[in-house]
Amino acid sequence: MNTEPIIHIENLHKHFGETAALNGVDIDVYPGEVVVIIGPSGSGKSTLLRCINRLEAFQAGTVVVDNIPLTTAENINAVRTEIGMVFQSFNLFPHLSVLENVTIAQKVVRKRSKSEAVEVALALLEKVGIPEKANDFPGQLSGGQQQRVAIARALAMNPKIMLFDEPTSALDPEMIQEVLDVMLQLAKEGMTMVVVSHEMGFARAAADRAVLMDEGLIVEEDVPDVLFSHPTQERTQAFLSKIL
Amino acid sequence: MRVRKESENILGHEVANSRIDSWWWLVAAVIVIVILLAILQPDPYWRIIRFVSDGVLVTVGVTLTAFVLTLVIGLLAALGRLSKIGFIRWATTIYVEVARGIPLLVQLLFWYFAFPSLIQGFGRLIHFQPLERYLANPFAMAILGLTFCYSAYMSEIYRAGIQSIPKGQNEAARSLGMTHNQAMRHIILPQAFKVVLPPLGNEFISLLKDSSLVSTVSVADMTRRGREFMAANFIPVETWLMIALLYLVMTLISARIVSWIERKTQTEDR
Repeated sequence: MNTEPIIHIENLHKHFGETAALNGVDIDVYPGEVVVIIGPSGSGKSTLLRCINRLEAFQAGTVVVDNIPLTTAENINAVRTEIGMVFQSFNLFPHLSVLENVTIAQKVVRKRSKSEAVEVALALLEKVGIPEKANDFPGQLSGGQQQRVAIARALAMNPKIMLFDEPTSALDPEMIQEVLDVMLQLAKEGMTMVVVSHEMGFARAAADRAVLMDEGLIVEEDVPDVLFSHPTQERTQAFLSKIL
Repeated sequence: MRVRKESENILGHEVANSRIDSWWWLVAAVIVIVILLAILQPDPYWRIIRFVSDGVLVTVGVTLTAFVLTLVIGLLAALGRLSKIGFIRWATTIYVEVARGIPLLVQLLFWYFAFPSLIQGFGRLIHFQPLERYLANPFAMAILGLTFCYSAYMSEIYRAGIQSIPKGQNEAARSLGMTHNQAMRHIILPQAFKVVLPPLGNEFISLLKDSSLVSTVSVADMTRRGREFMAANFIPVETWLMIALLYLVMTLISARIVSWIERKTQTEDR
């Protein structure tokens, strides 16, 4: 594995008012690695993810992405163009067509010409399996289709890292697999991914590392098969016994 | 949550749909009354209409001009109130509170009578001739007064519209690398605009009615022309009946257009 981490997080602290969300998290993610974060709700896993592209401000600690420290507004925007993010609630732009959802940031942020952006978008919609929906609006799509558009929208920026914040939690069960399939393919292609999800099947199949968080701290991390089958920490065992 | 929202939409949709025809009848009925009065009793009704017709144009012109300015300035004020920069937020908040806290009539009187005196005084102070001889243009001052007051109300409508857009929209835009301004322009405002269209239309109708107040500051609008006609002919009942009917025609037509826009934006959501 590469020696230089693409995401370096050191002693990260974050609190919402009186409530502590992160209590000094240290984690490194290396290029091409797929990391799955699990943990009970309120454990800080989504907050950690959102700190990586600074959607969430933090009070203390260091986050460095691709050698850019998250300090100035300029740096933060530079980092965000390198990181794609997929949300639990999709957050597609409802006033834009599927195609425009995938082209808008290319045009506005990457300053690509319209024809180039459309070309990229159509290729990505093909890749996530819904080229025929290009001219539909998000409201006309199923949840699984919307989430795949959201993945295409993020990929259109050619990110080096993809963050997934519970990408299948808002989906009906029969639509989960179509989204996981797209994620599996991305992992296979060598995309660096940080995924907050309790999809054990995905973690076993695609993740290099599974991380268990609780009360704003990383409790245990290991290769998914080892962590899920032979957890060493009591808290990990307790959590896994509830969800498996 | 989603289900509830849709049923509300459908409900509003049906109400608007069933209402539209009957209310167009009301518009037609008022127009027919005006025409009948003008034909059956040309003296005084047709005379009144001819006398105030230039005032109708003034009322429409003042209203439209002030409304367009209000759309722009109201948006700027709304963005100011949502700004991250403390001073801008502070200044626009004070503007909105002041403009909403003073009666429109008093504001119009201030802009027409007091403001020019202040300018002249300032001109004398710095010995600058053009300012010393500054004379208020009634139209400009009336439009300034209406715009100053209504932009404050409008900014609150815009602000509510912007804040009604889910936070996730901004987060998605920012996570794609858009700056605050880019996210506003391409993602938030286009969606917010749809939300605020119906209340914007209602503001237009209010502005149309409140424009009658400019008759107090030397603008020969419909109301002022009505007063002039009454002063010359001493027939208050006929005069004010006709003026009221003419305002009603304008506001009812505007209300139909607003309702049409409302229905259109609701169907497009689906």
